Amino acid sequence: MKKYVAMLIGVAVIAGYAASNHAKSVAAQTTHSSAQYTADGKLILPKGFRKWVFVGAPLTPNALNGGEANFPEFHHVYVEEQNLDVYLKTGSFPEGTVFIKELTRVLNPTFPDGSRTEPSGRGYFNGELNGIDATVKDSKRFAKTNGWGFFTFGHHPMPYAQTASESPISECAWCHIANVSKTDMTWVQFYPILRGDKLN
Amino acid sequence: MSFKFKLIIGALLLTAVVASPQSDEKKGPVFTKDGQLVLPTGYRSWVFIGGPITPNGLNDGHAPFPEFHSVYIEKENFRYYQKNGKFPEGTVMVKELALVQGGGHSDGSIDSASGRGYFPGSLSGIDVMVKDSKRFAGTNDWGFFTFGHHAPPYEAVANESSSKECASCHIAFVAKTDMVWVQYYPLLKTKID
Repeated sequence: MKKYVAMLIGVAVIAGYAASNHAKSVAAQTTHSSAQYTADGKLILPKGFRKWVFVGAPLTPNALNGGEANFPEFHHVYVEEQNLDVYLKTGSFPEGTVFIKELTRVLNPTFPDGSRTEPSGRGYFNGELNGIDATVKDSKRFAKTNGWGFFTFGHHPMPYAQTASESPISECAWCHIANVSKTDMTWVQFYPILRGDKLN
Repeated sequence: MSFKFKLIIGALLLTAVVASPQSDEKKGPVFTKDGQLVLPTGYRSWVFIGGPITPNGLNDGHAPFPEFHSVYIEKENFRYYQKNGKFPEGTVMVKELALVQGGGHSDGSIDSASGRGYFPGSLSGIDVMVKDSKRFAGTNDWGFFTFGHHAPPYEAVANESSSKECASCHIAFVAKTDMVWVQYYPLLKTKID
């Protein structure tokens, strides 16, 4: 019987070791950046971002912005969980962090301000998906713009562009530098889970 | 097969179960002995499917759901819906509310660098619905719960809301789409990754 007990322990140790190695390899995979570039430096549209952590959704309706909001109209912002965790611990995002902002139009407006009435009240409801902007933290590649690069894959319904060149400073970075350079170039004031609000 | 060999296989299986990673697994609803729903955890890392907003400023100062509604569902249930057009048993849907940042226009909007609009302020409550065709057979298979419409901390447990508070409206308007307002959620309407 002793022999079998020893075998059992051996088998359990091997199985446990294999399982912990599996866990390590999963952890290693998650430290890679979702920012992948073409040979000529264009950012490739990341995949799977709709299953990242959603951090907030400002809304700038066209109807409240002279018919043409700069970012029409809902802004759904996503970041990967491991980068959010670092931010919540340290107050800055790690190298390689990618933010995705996916736009959606509002659903069929009926009032002049773009809102409509639904059983839950008068307001704004998500309509068609309408574009993607991305920011990437890379202090070497984007040293001139406070460590972040800015990209747009189009402000229009799908299909989106699959690659994007870095946007010029005058289009994106200047406004982040002017307003949010102290909070790692991110508008944390609009996102309850980044602001450090008390959560449940 | 000898008894000892079965024992070894049993030990192997047990080790595999104990050692399997827990982080990304589906959890489903948890109820207390007397049928109260326990506040789900980790939902902010689930899939966000959409965020309607009904500002108090457009609803005579008192929207029924003030004001942003951020709706989350577990990844496995999202995938199941995309494939089958309905939600599986045990699906939990969490709606977390957030107030708008105030101090601007009478409609509740403010002027910001990105334009005039609505920006999330403080978190302000949680509503949850759970699909369980046995437990909630009387309300089209879904049970409705609220953990309060106020800032965190939210209630730790919640009784099922009365039919007239929640279910009646879902039955009247969205019974054909599995009791969910899919028309507000582009990620449920579109075949996307």
